[in-house]
Amino acid sequence: MFRDAYRQRWRQWLNRRIPPARAVQLNQRRIFILPTPRGLAFSVVLLLMLLAGINYQNSLAYGLTFLLLSVFHTAMLHTYRNLSGLMIKAAGVAPVFVGEQARFQLRLESRGKVHEAIACGWPPAPLQIADVPAEGQALLEIPLAASRRGWLRAERLRVESRFPLGLLVAWSWVDLDQAVLVYPQPLPGDLPLAAQVGLEDEDEGQRIVGRGADDFQGLRTFQPGDSRRRLDWKAYSRGQGLLVKDFAQLAGRDLWLDFSSLGGDVEARLSLLCHWVLTLDQRQQAFGLNLPGSRLEPATGAAHREACLKALALFGSASA
Amino acid sequence: MTPAIPRISLIWLLVAQALVILPHLAHLPLWFTGLWAFCAAWRLQIFRMRARYPNGLAKAALILATAAGVFWSRGGLIGLEAGTALLMATFVLKLVEMRTQRDALVLIYLGFFAVVTAYLLDSEMLSALYSVLPVTALLAAMVGLQQSRLAMQPWPTLRYAGKLLLQSLPLMLLLFVFFPRLGPLWSLPQPGSKGISGLAESMTPGDIANLGRSPEPVFRASFEGATPPRSELYWRALTLEHFDGRRWSQTPDLPVLATDSWQAQGQNLSYSILMQPSLQRWLFALDTARTDLPGARQLSDYRLVNVSPVEQPLLYRVSSWPQVVRDPELRPTQQRRALQLPAGNPRARELAAELKARYARPEQLVAALLTRFNQGEYFYTLKPPTLSGDTVDAFLFDSRRGFCAHYAGAATFVLRAAGIPARVVAGYQGGEFNRQGGYVQVHQFDAHAWVEYWLPERGWQRVDPTFAVAPERIEQGLEAALAEEGSFLEDSPLSPLRYRDVALLNQLRLAWDNLNYGWQRWVLGYQSEQQLGLLQRWFGEWDIQRLVIVLGGGGVLLGLLMALLLLKPWQQRLDAQQRVYRRFERLLARHGVARRPGEGARDYARRAALVLPQQARQIEGFAECFEVQRYAGIASDKGQLAQQLRALRRALPWRLSRLDDGETTR
Repeated sequence: MFRDAYRQRWRQWLNRRIPPARAVQLNQRRIFILPTPRGLAFSVVLLLMLLAGINYQNSLAYGLTFLLLSVFHTAMLHTYRNLSGLMIKAAGVAPVFVGEQARFQLRLESRGKVHEAIACGWPPAPLQIADVPAEGQALLEIPLAASRRGWLRAERLRVESRFPLGLLVAWSWVDLDQAVLVYPQPLPGDLPLAAQVGLEDEDEGQRIVGRGADDFQGLRTFQPGDSRRRLDWKAYSRGQGLLVKDFAQLAGRDLWLDFSSLGGDVEARLSLLCHWVLTLDQRQQAFGLNLPGSRLEPATGAAHREACLKALALFGSASA
Repeated sequence: MTPAIPRISLIWLLVAQALVILPHLAHLPLWFTGLWAFCAAWRLQIFRMRARYPNGLAKAALILATAAGVFWSRGGLIGLEAGTALLMATFVLKLVEMRTQRDALVLIYLGFFAVVTAYLLDSEMLSALYSVLPVTALLAAMVGLQQSRLAMQPWPTLRYAGKLLLQSLPLMLLLFVFFPRLGPLWSLPQPGSKGISGLAESMTPGDIANLGRSPEPVFRASFEGATPPRSELYWRALTLEHFDGRRWSQTPDLPVLATDSWQAQGQNLSYSILMQPSLQRWLFALDTARTDLPGARQLSDYRLVNVSPVEQPLLYRVSSWPQVVRDPELRPTQQRRALQLPAGNPRARELAAELKARYARPEQLVAALLTRFNQGEYFYTLKPPTLSGDTVDAFLFDSRRGFCAHYAGAATFVLRAAGIPARVVAGYQGGEFNRQGGYVQVHQFDAHAWVEYWLPERGWQRVDPTFAVAPERIEQGLEAALAEEGSFLEDSPLSPLRYRDVALLNQLRLAWDNLNYGWQRWVLGYQSEQQLGLLQRWFGEWDIQRLVIVLGGGGVLLGLLMALLLLKPWQQRLDAQQRVYRRFERLLARHGVARRPGEGARDYARRAALVLPQQARQIEGFAECFEVQRYAGIASDKGQLAQQLRALRRALPWRLSRLDDGETTR
């Protein structure tokens, strides 16, 4: 209870202090710094050295203790400096299916100085480490497990640096306002008969010229955008150049993937629909998607697939 | 589990370990070198994938064998020597089982501690300077542990460590000067004796002659005001009152002298003495002395003794009053002790009786004895013949060759036989004047023995029979006294003291000695009193309040200064290109084209070119150059951009102030 309340307040405070943005530059308002466990162990060593200096009345032991204490202080400035001025930008993320890792792209940019060993990530997962050259940039890909469909909003990202001695850690929590669309997990299964009409051959539709998945109608030369699956590798190996097996599509009754015709709970139905969206898209077969509250007319192509997947992903959520 | 150790860190760790161990080797048993080589070789084989990490059994065997080795060669596992040996053994063994970063860190921390233990064993200036090397290497290993691009580059890693150290120096100096020095919190085992030669609690005449061959330094004295002539410098260490026929020894358990038992009078000498470890309790001072050293006391023979044997270099301040009358009256026990004589030496007793019959007053008798030494065929030599039987008789009447202790012992014997209370005083006489440093350096070969005899009401009087035989010993030093014999430091052919007649060498030697003295006084000796003295000289009074103000204020000030230097906040977050672009904006704004909020570089340039068509070429040239550098990621050449800007500025009519915005933007 208290923990949650505390966390809530902490989040609010952070939001005021480091508001979400696509690009964040770290400065003194946004960087926190504390000794690490190694730093604490180091201070214990220093204390022992000081005791040796006091008990043996040894000036050199005093001297070394003070030197290392000063090094600790200098390291604090260096650690802070290593993080300050660093620009962190969101560099996009591709949608994923439930159960996969979303890979958030980050771009770390230097505005002048070198930033050594900058670690980014979402604890408790291990952080990714990169060096940013002076006036240069570094790209990082931070994985985040996608466990639920819908928009996955990335939490605040921890950016930290322990350079140069590992005695201190300077860190910041930045919110790059990133979110990734998580599609339902595709689960193979049969479509109920009602929906399978279009898959049966009993009423052959009219054969039309054009691209489809149904009937082989010859080879043609490869054009960018053609599926690689249909490349005729044998012809390629004979030295005939890149040829594509061309299929004609059977335009029959439109194929509808209908949510309401399925059984099982909502997620299972969505998973099955997702599977079929992918399968049909692969076959380059036109299909429509009928969800309660939204309806996508039959079509083919990547844009259609994305639209269908998005509709599935956001089904039932407020932003659908 | 923490990540593995980067290669560079491992290399620097091995280097640092060698640097840390090197000064310890002289203090460690011989087998330790073998253990070290074994562990380092094993570690390297692991690194080359040719050996495995030790398993539990091997580790246990190694640890047990090492502990047994330390026990066997150090006679136990407790004490500073054994503790250091154990620490170093752990330091070396840890190398073999070092897998993770945490292990490496343990090794690094052990290394820092090993450097401190090296200081306890040897705190000379050169050793201290040397210790910068292992500390830097250890820091480099620590930097190397970080997973940065530096983890592949050994030299930049070392440079970074050096930079960290240099930047830390100012704060370290502040702390060193102002951090309050405390007394020992509890007693710890001290470094063991390595057999320091020096004065002993008892002596046969030959003992001091042996000291006369040693060039080791004993102490240095700096006088406030003029240094007295060397013939006045009789540094008392102890008195030898008991004679058994061969050996003079001191009276055990002398009572402590009450502080008010004598009053300061006459001329005063103030000086400070920096003493090398002697492993003895007595302190050196001119008669009659008082010291402010805490715990030091004065015994009834007017010598000063420390609380404990001097095992570290010791700095103390002394005030002496040479004209003080010591013991105007003698108590019976004192009298008995000062007249004690063993049987034997009939000829010496005969001489005493003869002198006593001839001279009524003790001063006359003493003078007659000195004249005898001076006129008779007596020789001052570092190589006296060995005497047996009645040694005093043999010396006085047969060999007539001896070192100071022979003369002092024989004179005391005769005085006692004549009924005059007398004793032998052992200490040092004279010393080498270091003009550059303004101090007197006393070596072991300045060891000396002289005589004190007692007169009613006038107390103890110093008399030096050696002066009667070889006045040059007192006035110029041992070297001059032995010039004919040529025996000065003949056992130490390499001692720089032998080459005092080579001017350049001698100057170098004195300068080096002076440097070491400063080191010992101001660095090693910088403990509570020295610190208090210095701070009082700087700040007048010194109390806890000032300490907090100076240490806290100074610390904050230095911290801010370092932060300013390192973080350079005056360098705006703008980079070089942006700074040039800002100048471009200001220039165009003066000509009436101010950039609108949110307007891109290209749009702005296009608009400016429309307003200033005559300079359109330069404006567009600049904008293009800026775009190429800024966004195309082509290596930025600041000069080129600045050049474009200069070209534009030349093309524009000169204008100081901003045009009225309304004129052109309309």
